[in-house]
This record gives sequence, structure tokens and C-alpha cells, in this order.
Amino acid sequence: MLSRLSRSAAKKAASKTISPATFSAGARRNIVQPSGAERASVMDLPSTYKDESHFTPRSDMLGFKLEVPRREENLKEKTRPIYLDMQATTPVDPRVLDAMLPYLTDQYGNPHSRTHAYGWEAEQGVEDARKHVADLIGADPKDIVFTSGATETNNMAIKGVARFHKEKKKHIITTQTEHKCVLDSCRKLGEEGFDITYLPVQNNGVVDLNVLEAAIRPDTSLVSIMTVNNETGVIQPIKEIGALLRKHRGIYFHTDAAQAAGKIPVDVNEMNVDLMSISGHKLYGPKGIGAAYVRRRPRVRLEPIINGGGQERGLRSGTLPTALVVGLGEAARIARKEMARDRSHVEALSKRLIEGINSQVEYVVRNGDVEGYPGCVNLSFSYVEGESLLMALKDIALSSGSACTSASLEPSYVLRALGAAEDMAHSSLRFGLGRFTTEAEVDFVVQHIVGTVHRLREMSPLWEMVQEGIDINSIDWSQSQH
Amino acid sequence: MSAVPSRRAVLGLYSSTLRTAKSFSSYNFRNYFVRRTRDVFRNIQTEQDPSRVQSMYQEAVKDLAVLRRSAIVNQLYGGWRLAVEDPAKPVLQRGDD
Repeated sequence: MLSRLSRSAAKKAASKTISPATFSAGARRNIVQPSGAERASVMDLPSTYKDESHFTPRSDMLGFKLEVPRREENLKEKTRPIYLDMQATTPVDPRVLDAMLPYLTDQYGNPHSRTHAYGWEAEQGVEDARKHVADLIGADPKDIVFTSGATETNNMAIKGVARFHKEKKKHIITTQTEHKCVLDSCRKLGEEGFDITYLPVQNNGVVDLNVLEAAIRPDTSLVSIMTVNNETGVIQPIKEIGALLRKHRGIYFHTDAAQAAGKIPVDVNEMNVDLMSISGHKLYGPKGIGAAYVRRRPRVRLEPIINGGGQERGLRSGTLPTALVVGLGEAARIARKEMARDRSHVEALSKRLIEGINSQVEYVVRNGDVEGYPGCVNLSFSYVEGESLLMALKDIALSSGSACTSASLEPSYVLRALGAAEDMAHSSLRFGLGRFTTEAEVDFVVQHIVGTVHRLREMSPLWEMVQEGIDINSIDWSQSQH
Repeated sequence: MSAVPSRRAVLGLYSSTLRTAKSFSSYNFRNYFVRRTRDVFRNIQTEQDPSRVQSMYQEAVKDLAVLRRSAIVNQLYGGWRLAVEDPAKPVLQRGDD
């Protein structure tokens, strides 16, 4: 080893005398190969470029202007839309922010520093947070790994387990209604040579256990099924699925509980879950933090995506963001404490919303299982396009589906997987209710939705035909016969 | 620890918690904490077991300290009016007109 070192040092010294032009031609490959200037790409700015302050409205902003309000201006002048998109993200609870602030000011230590008080107090905060997150899902604190969010956790769990067992097992099962990050991770693994089974769901969005059992193969390494769907609020029978998978040896069970943790009771041991994803900003915590539950007994082995200093059991290296971790912990603690109160509040609001809309508008279809999470109400308004409804409702922040796909006008793939017709998938709206939603807000939404739906239907020729009793589906829209 | 809190102490804590909850600038937080405060203190009122009452009281004291700080931060950074708070303003209005 020593002789090799000295030889390479000598070579390095010799190469210094050679000019850079001749160096690249005959030199042997070193560990770090310098790249020439011809390989660096420097682009000229296009002539249309304007400085950063210039903002062009994009087509997907539905005609809204971006007006960033300035705090110095009078707060009373502009009103903000009311927020009913709790599946996209939730506001940070003021109590969570209060727990985070000390770690954003004086207690700035690195939680991995073992040699001084700054490190110890940060570590104490992180470990308390770990305990709170573990308590929320009935796990052991040592099983919790902090990540940057549910997307990273899903990637880590799916790719990590699949790649670790790729020598023997090459089959993964998931469902068609999963979140994009699960589907995309599976697609990537598909490119790497894995077999992926995308299970269909029933019309109410729930996976059929018989279909799942039939899909299991001897070389299945992982099953990934989300607990609560982000678009429809459908709750999958995770407990039954866990019991089913426990009968088959060597299959790991991952569930994406980003929308479930803190909202419905979740227990990893009762559900026989091996891996679970949790996101901070879906349970009134900060964005940019999430947690993975990785079972230690029996041990789940996975290949980490991020390598480095070996923090978080070597599964997710990198310094923990203490303030965010503490925020997630406090959010989990509050969620556990307030779950019953939140649940009854959200249930009452959900009932009020659905009954309010149903009593005044006809041809409204609720997508997904009626027994799903009440805080996520996905309604389709027939003969009204969802996007035009959103455009008309400037004072209500709603979404027609997942935030990840809200820019595209494609109908939601989740609703299509539920068997919704294309027109119904196009006319859907998702109402996300949460801890901070008030009854007055729900009444406001009902009043304006009803008014807007009636107004848009008055304009619609389809609606006129329906009123005259013409079956829309019987019409041949093509012009070819003429 | 101290004995079971007197009725007067509980009422005093209730009124100062409620006053703090009402001082939030943000509509949603204000409404939530007012609702929660009423709920929590109603539970204390109906609780029969003295040791439970004492622990609930202690917890409410701690919550009040957190709530006071949170309200100050919220007064600094929150406070835009929501559409629902302003019924006089016409709704159905596009941003580009």
C-alpha cells in the first residue's frame, strides 16, 4: 500500500511538468479525471430573457394573477381564499412552530455532535421527537428513520427492499391508485428488470384481497399499498392485507401512510406492516421532513439510497434538520392527543358539506368508498368541468385532484382506476377538511359551489340536452356520417 | 404537587386561555383554539375524579404558556383576512379582469 502511494505521488509530481494539452492524450486514468473546458457547457442567455423579477403567468394558473402580498401594505385590503386542500398540505400548527423556534434560534447544535452541550441538547430534541412519532404509530423509537418526506421514504422503501433482494426476488406488487412517487419508483425498477404488478381496485377504490393473493408469486419481495388514498380518501384494509402477507414468508409489506398517520388510528404491529411512510406537512407539521418506519424485528434489510456518515442506522445519511424533526415530533404528539377531537370535528364538517351540496345540487357523485377518511371528499359534478369550476371559485382554494398532477388537464388516473367515466373524472373536485376548517367556511363553500354549478350548467348545452331528456351517451359526436 | 385546583382557579385559567385564543390574528387558528379551549374546560368541568382534574389542570397551564407565545408569533406573521370573514365583498371574481 505504501509503495503504491509513493509511486502515484511521484507520477503526480512528474505530470506537473507536462503541459495540459499533451497530458490528456497519453496519460493513464487517475482516480479523478480532469475534464477539459470543451466539455463544460456554458449557454448564452436567450434574447427573450428578462431578469428574475419578471414573472410570466403559466397556462396552468387558470388565469389567476400571482400577487405576492407585502406585509408592509394594509392587511385589510386583500382577502385570501379559504383553504380546503388539506390533502395537498396542511398549515403548520402554531404549537408546532412554538416547539421548533428554539432550535431555529439558540439551540442550533448538530444533533450528531457528541462532544458538547449544543450537540447534546439537539440530540435530546431529536430523540424526543422520534419517541413521539413512534408512539403515534405504535412502534419502537429505534425503528423510526427521519427522511425529507414521504416521497423520499417511499423511494427508499421500494427501491431499497427491491434492490437488496434482487438476486433472488424480482417481483413487486402495488396498486393502480398509489401516489405518483410509488408508481414512478416502480416504473424505474421495471426498467431495471423487475416485474411489477399493478393491482386493479374495485369500484369503491378498495383492493380485493383475493386479487392480491392471486398476484403473489414465490419471487415477490415487496407489496406496497397506501393506507389512505390522497385523492379519494379511500382507506385500504391494511390490517387484513398485513395478516394475509404474514402467511407468505419473505414478503415485505410497505404502506404509504402519509395521509393516514395522525388522522386515523395506525398501529404497525396490529397491521403487520414492515415499512411505513409518514410525511410531516400532512399532519400540521413543517414541510421537508418525513419519517420511515423500518421494522427491526424481524429485520427488514434494504439498500440505502443516500450513503454517507451513517446517520439514522446508515439508512439515510446526512445531518438531521433538528428544527424540522422537532416540528414533526410535536405534530405527531399533538395529532395523537387530539385525534378523537379532530376526527369528530372533521366528520361533522364532512357531513355538513356533503348534505349541503346534495340537498341543493343534483347529479353529484361521490368518488371512492363512503367509509373512507371523512376529511377527503371527492365529488364529481356532472355536466360541469372541474377546471372551470375551480376557475370560477377564486375565493376557495380547492383542487381537482393531487397537487402533483394539478397542472395537467388530464383526468385523474386514480379516478379512472376506480372505473369513473372520463367525463366524471374531468368534473371532480377534492375537498380537504382538517383541524382548522370551520363550519362557516364549509357553509361558504357550499353556498358558492351551488351557485357556480348552477351558473355553469345554465351555460352548458349538455345540461340543456339532459333537461330535455336526451341520453348523452347515445349521441354519436363524430362528423363522419355527414 | 398541589391539591385539587379550586373552582376559581379553573375559571381564571379558562378566561385567560380563552382571551389568549381570541388574540390570534389568523381566522382558522383563532377559531380552532377558541373551540378547543371551550372543549377542554368543559371536560374539566364534567370530570369527577379529583386526580384526573388535577392532571388536566396542570396540562392546561402548560398549554396556556405555549398558546401565549404562539399567539404573539401569529400576531406578527398572520392576519390576512379570509374571504369568509368579509361577507360584503363580492365573490366570483377573476383575477385578470
